[in-house]
This record gives sequence, C-alpha cells and structure tokens, in this order.
Amino acid sequence: MERQKTKLISNQPYDETLDVNDSEEVASLYTPTPRQTVFRNTSRQQLKEMANTNSDEFVEDTKQRKKDQPTSPQGGSENNEEEDDDDDDDDDDDDSDETESDEEEEGEPSSALEGAYDPADYDHLRVTAEIKELFQYITRYTPQTIELDHKLKPFIPDFIPAVGDIDAFLKVPRPDGKSDGLGLLVLDEPCAKQSDPTVLSLWLSENSKQHNITEVKVKSIENPEKNPKAIDNWIESISELHRSKPPATVHYTRHMPDIDTLMQEWPAEFEELLGKVNLPTADINCGLAEYIDIICGILDIPVYKNRIQSLHVLFTLYSEFKNSQHFKALAEGQMSNTPSALHTATAEPDTLTLE
Amino acid sequence: MKPAVWGETAVNSTEKKRKNKTKKTPRLEDYLSQRDYLGALTLLEFQRNGGVVEDNADLWVGYCAFHLGDHKRAMEEYKSLAARPDCPADVWVYLGCSLFFLGLYKEAEEVAFKGPKSQLQNRLLFHLAHKFSDEKKLMGFHQNLEDVTEDQLSLASIHYMRSHYQEAIEIYKRILLQDRELLALNVYVALCYYKLDYYDVSQEVLAVYLQSIPDSTIALNLKACNHFRLYNGKAAEAELKNLIDISSSSFEFAKELIRHNLVVFRGGDGALQVLPPLIDVIPEARLNLVIYYLRQDDVQEAYNLIKDLEPTTPQEYILKGVVNAALGQEIGSRDHLKIAQQFFQLVGGSASECDTIPGRQCMASCFFLLKQFEDVLIYLNSVKSYFYTDDTFNFNYAQAKASLGNYKEAEEVFLLIHSDKIKNDYVYLSWLARCYIMNQKARLAWELYLKMETSSESFSLLQLIANDCYKMGQFYYAAKAFDVLERLDPNPEYWEGKRGACVGIFQLILAGREPRESLKEVLPMLRITGNPQVEYIIRITKKWAKDNRVAL
Repeated sequence: MERQKTKLISNQPYDETLDVNDSEEVASLYTPTPRQTVFRNTSRQQLKEMANTNSDEFVEDTKQRKKDQPTSPQGGSENNEEEDDDDDDDDDDDDSDETESDEEEEGEPSSALEGAYDPADYDHLRVTAEIKELFQYITRYTPQTIELDHKLKPFIPDFIPAVGDIDAFLKVPRPDGKSDGLGLLVLDEPCAKQSDPTVLSLWLSENSKQHNITEVKVKSIENPEKNPKAIDNWIESISELHRSKPPATVHYTRHMPDIDTLMQEWPAEFEELLGKVNLPTADINCGLAEYIDIICGILDIPVYKNRIQSLHVLFTLYSEFKNSQHFKALAEGQMSNTPSALHTATAEPDTLTLE
Repeated sequence: MKPAVWGETAVNSTEKKRKNKTKKTPRLEDYLSQRDYLGALTLLEFQRNGGVVEDNADLWVGYCAFHLGDHKRAMEEYKSLAARPDCPADVWVYLGCSLFFLGLYKEAEEVAFKGPKSQLQNRLLFHLAHKFSDEKKLMGFHQNLEDVTEDQLSLASIHYMRSHYQEAIEIYKRILLQDRELLALNVYVALCYYKLDYYDVSQEVLAVYLQSIPDSTIALNLKACNHFRLYNGKAAEAELKNLIDISSSSFEFAKELIRHNLVVFRGGDGALQVLPPLIDVIPEARLNLVIYYLRQDDVQEAYNLIKDLEPTTPQEYILKGVVNAALGQEIGSRDHLKIAQQFFQLVGGSASECDTIPGRQCMASCFFLLKQFEDVLIYLNSVKSYFYTDDTFNFNYAQAKASLGNYKEAEEVFLLIHSDKIKNDYVYLSWLARCYIMNQKARLAWELYLKMETSSESFSLLQLIANDCYKMGQFYYAAKAFDVLERLDPNPEYWEGKRGACVGIFQLILAGREPRESLKEVLPMLRITGNPQVEYIIRITKKWAKDNRVAL
C-alpha cells in the first residue's frame, strides 16, 4: 500500500481531473448526454488501464466500447502496483458496465469507428520516459460522446388535383319517363357550350314575334378586361341576332322615293280637302291590285310592274308613322306646329351593360 | 329583295343546327339532346311567359337545373312543387337528391323517406348511410340493391369512395362487357385507374370516351390530371386551357374544379385567393391549402386547417401525419410525434399504399421518428432514385446514414442539399461537422464553426468539434476548440481536453503526422491556462524542441 500511495501522489494531477461532482454540474448545463456515465467510464477506464487482467470480460468490453476509448495497457509495472485497488472497485465497475452498454444500444452505432485515435499506434515512438509520461495526458481525457439531435424533415406531398366524384346514380329522371342515357351513354354533365340565356330569350322573342318579354335579364361581366372572350361572344351573338331580323333597308330594283320625302306634309289644299273627304277605303269597288295602285298613287309611291316593292315602301312608311314619337304625340291631340323631327329612330334598343 | 331566312342566321352554331331541323320554334328536346340545359331552361321560361306550357313544365325545370348542376335551383323548384297538393310523390326523392348534392344530408334523408319506395330512393339512402358512416344501415340498403345497371353502378361508386377501386372496376367492366354502348363507363374505369396511380392505363381508357365526346368537361379534366401525374403542371395546364377555350362563358359547371386544378397545376399559385372559398366544396381544396401552408413553413396554419379533419383517404392520413410531425418537432411535443408516427405506420403498412412512393416515405418517416435508422434506410433506399435532387429527402437520408456511422456517404448527401434554410439548421451543421471529422476533414468542420454567429448553438458545435476531433486523433482542431471553450467557460474539463489535445499534437509531431510549426501555436494556447501542469508540459516540449532544433 505504501508503494501505491507513492504512485498515487505522482498521479495527483489525474486525480484532480476526476473531481466528479464539479464536472457533473457543469456538464448538465450543456449537453443532454448522460455525463455521469462518461465519468464513470473515465474512472473505470483508468482501472482497466491499470488492471492487468486479460479476462474474457475485459476483451468483450473493449470491443463494445470501440476503439475510441483508449484501452491499451500502460507500463506493466504500474499496473502490477495497483492491482489491489482494482479489486476493490470491481463491483462498482460492473454497474457502470451495464449502464454503458445500455446506452450504447440506443445511442451510437455499434460499428467500430474507423480512423479513431489509438494510442497503440504511437507505441513505437522512441521517446524519453519523460515524454512517454507526458503522452499519458492524452488518454487521461476521455472525449465525450455527444448525442446529436435528429430532425425529420417531413416530406410534403405534391398538390392534389381534383378529378371530381364518380357518378353515384342519384339522378332525377325525365318527367316524361323516357330514358335519357345520362351517366350511361354519355356522362351526366352539361355540354361545355351552353346557350346564353339572354341572347336566346331575345332570339326567341324575335322568332315568335312575341315582344312580350318585359324583363330581359342582362347579365354583367365581372372583370371585363380579363374576359375579352365573353365580350366578343356577346357582341357577336347580338350582331347575329340583328342580322337575323329583316334588314332595315331593302334594295329596290327600281327607284323609290325615300321615306323622309314621303313623310313630308301634303299641300295645304290637300290637307284641307282631307278634312272633308275620307281617303278611299278597301270597300271601294275595285280589285286589290287597283286598290294598291290608288293608295300608292295618293301617297306618291310609284308602282312598277311588281307591286311587292311598292307595298314594301307603303308599309315602311306606315311603320315609320306608327313608331314616330312626334306623330304619336300629334295623334294624342297635343298639337305642335313645329314638325321638325319627323323622322325618329325606331329600332328597339338592345342594351348591354358592361360593368 | 329577299328577306333573311330564319334558319340561316342563328345565335350560335349549335342553335343553327337546331333551327335548321326545326325551322321555326325550337323544341325542348333539341336542347336536352345537346345537354344544353341553360338553353332548355331559357326555353321553358319563355314558354311560361308566353302562356304556351309544356306538360310538367315545373318538373322539366327541376330536371334541367339538376343536370345542369344547379342543385340549389333544382331544390327550390322541387320544394315549391312538393308544397302543392297535386304533387307527384316521387318529387320528394328528387328533392332529396338535390339536397344530397348540396351536402345537406340530414335534410336529404328526411325528405327521402317521404317518397314512395323506389330504386332511386334506396340508392339515395344507401349513399346517405355512407355519408353518415352508418355501417349497419349501409348493409341494409346494400341488400336492397337490385341487379339492374343503375343500382350496380351506384354500388360501384360506393366502392370508389371507399378507395376499393378494384371492386369498382370489376363492376364497371362486367357491365361494359354486356353493353359496349355504355361509353360513360369508360370514364369511370379511367377514374379508378387514376386513383390507383395507373395514369397511362387511365389515359388509354379515357381516350375511348373522348373519341366520341371530345368536349367532355369531366373527361378533359381527368386527362389534365393524368398529364399532371405523368408529366408536369405545364402539360396539365395546357390540357385544361383547351377545356376553358371551348366552354362558353355561361358555363358554370365544374368552374370551381377548373379553378382549383389551375392552382394545383401552377404549383400553388393563387392558392390563398382560390382555395379558401372551396374548402367545403372540393375535398382536395383543404388538403391543398394545408400543403401550401407546409410549403410556406406555416406549420401552425396547416395544423389549424387539418386538426379537425377525420382522415379517411390515404392522402388525408399522410397529410395529418406530416403536419403532426412538423408541429411536434417545432414545439417539441411528444404527443404530436406519436400521432404522426402512428399515421405514418398506418399508411405505410396498408396494402394499398405499402408499395407506393408516399407509402415508403411514410414508413421511413415512421422509423425515423422511432430512431430506427437501419429501417429508415431500407425504405429510403427503395425510393431514392425518385429524389436525387430533393433537399428534404437528402436531409433525412444523410442523417440516417450518419446515424449508422456511414459518414462518407452521409457527407456526400449532406453536400447535395441546396436549401439555405436547411443549411443553416443546427441539425444540418452539427451532423455535417461530425461527418467531416469522422472523415478526417476537421478543418472543414472548424470552418463551419467560424461561419456561425456566436450563440448557444455555436457553443454546442465547439463541444462537438472538440470531442469528436479528440476521439479521431485530430488534436490540432480539438485543441483549438477546447481553447475557445475554456475561454468561454473556465470549466476544468475543458482544460483537461485542451491539455490532452496539446500533448496529442506533440505526439503527432513526433510521429511526423503534424507539421512541427504547429508546436508554435500549442504553447500560447497552453499558457493561457493558469495551471501548474502547464509549466511541466511546456518544459518538456521546449526541451524536445531544443534537442531537435525546432524554433519556438
């Protein structure tokens, strides 16, 4: 024991390093690694180093603890000297062994670290005993095993397109009981080209001559600047609708006076006469052709071989008078001496609201 | 003079066809056969106003609105019909169908029972039971299904909604074998194959339908989705553009679907404008918004959107897993991580997903959370060819490799990562530093430290460098790291580390593995510490230097 003590004194610096309490406190501040184990390792390692027991247990343990833990025995004489001490501490040692191996299973990979420091690699160095002793400082510090955190970066799936539902056959059948084949022969979906309700209802009323649609729903287009297609479509449909109406002007094969001329006032004497005599009615004793000739004559409409064109002028004239606001007012008895605007536009306005 | 003939000028080409046929007044049938329901409705309205009324005009209006997809209008029409004393009893079921498509399932069930027993009523109740997840009722109505085409197709759609695509395909194919004319069934089969990730097969079957009906909205949209999966968003968008070009502006059907998919095909462009209003209209909208938030790193928003969602599809399970994993790691919640791990396991272990890429990713994520990195690698290796340039994948992959001690490959993979966000993450820095050191490149690890701002993380990195370098016998950088550590915190342990590392450098110099000049840096580092051992070490090294003529 005396000899050991002597030896221990020379090792005092190392003993200092094993001031477990102190280090533990500091350690817990920085890493979650079980530092206690590390220090037990250190102490045990010292014991191992000093122990000259090449038992099976020792060899196994060395493997387990990988090369990074310096395990090579030191000078034989030293170890011999401290054999007793070793025995005393063996019990504690077993405990720490268990702790260590547990930790290793869950922590570090068990494969040996390639390229780790091995003091044995430097045993061949021919140095003075003094330097050799100095080298022991290297193995006196056991590097901590620092556990690193893992972070799973979860894979973010691709965006998911929607394909819609599959037909569940919860569908209303035709009221007349006929089969419509929807969902069977064709998908139960409206066709992409739907009629424009506004255009269609204008068209229907034009077609049926029922100008009875009091309210034509006119839709508005949001963001017209982004939707030129919708506007173009509207303009095209409406102009087609107008084209489908009878043209406002008809090209006559022979010269016809224009309507404005025909609408001019009659000479005063003639007007006076009309106050006393009625124009000939259809009851007059003649054929239709003659009657047309008479009326056209009175109205200054020339009649050529074909009376159709003359009749067209006649009815155009009639329609102009009928639709004229001015003459409507006259007919209602509100006399006006200034028949300036005899001709008024009659086309029914189609309105398109673009907001 | 020739006044214009009615039949030759028409509002548009489809109407032209109709008018040529009918000369004067268009018939309802013409619109119906074209599936121009807006036209049909307009005509019905016009007739109502004009006093000429079709038989059952109100029922026709309901029918047209329903098939136009305007279920609200259909519902209103049927509601007012049902209020009349002379109303046919079937109207209740029609009303139920309209309510069903409006998502008003409770109301739908209520009115459905008011109608007489019929196949349609049974199908409606069958689907309602599915919506209510009432297995018992579902089985009951299932047994009432008859061996007629409509009932069988309705059953197939339930299979589809329950992700039993093979069963659905079997029914469709069986019916198609009996009657090749039922072209629409091809689209249903194509939808199933799409869901099974057989996009090219889906395209093939779909082509049969598109050949005869090239302007079908549903089919063209599916085609676009197939293109998205097979090629990319650009190809898909081009396909969708075709559809937009041919549809008239009054065409509302599937407009929301198209808007939704445009966001998807454009990689999330406009997600915040388009998706929120669609959340309860298109089921994918919510999921896509979650994906959008995840991509923006807004984990909390993503979580808020998905936390109340009861997952039913693999996609929903995956997304719930992903969000929980992200949130759990962000706020350090074990509960969320546990949920994430369970969802991942559920999807990755399921028969339908175990061999898909997302399924493999799920399994890998599950094992990653369990820190079973050998298993992580098995799954990641099986899909790595799809993710060579994927930062997320590489980050996880490299960590798994490093955890198993495969530092060489781990280093390579870490260095493939481009994302600055990842590269500034301490997890990345610390693992890369460890890889460098284990691969004997301590200098690179030291440079990582030098680039860091001073923080608790840089302190941790120093500890890592100090100890790992020591372990690997790279004493020069171990000494430097311990030196800084000791100055920041005069802990005796750092002195021990520095002392050992300094002696280690000396040993390396003696072994010729370290330039002798390094000794010049060793002495000042030692002197900083006021420890009596310093003199002892310096004395011996100086003596050696003198003997070996090394200038200090």
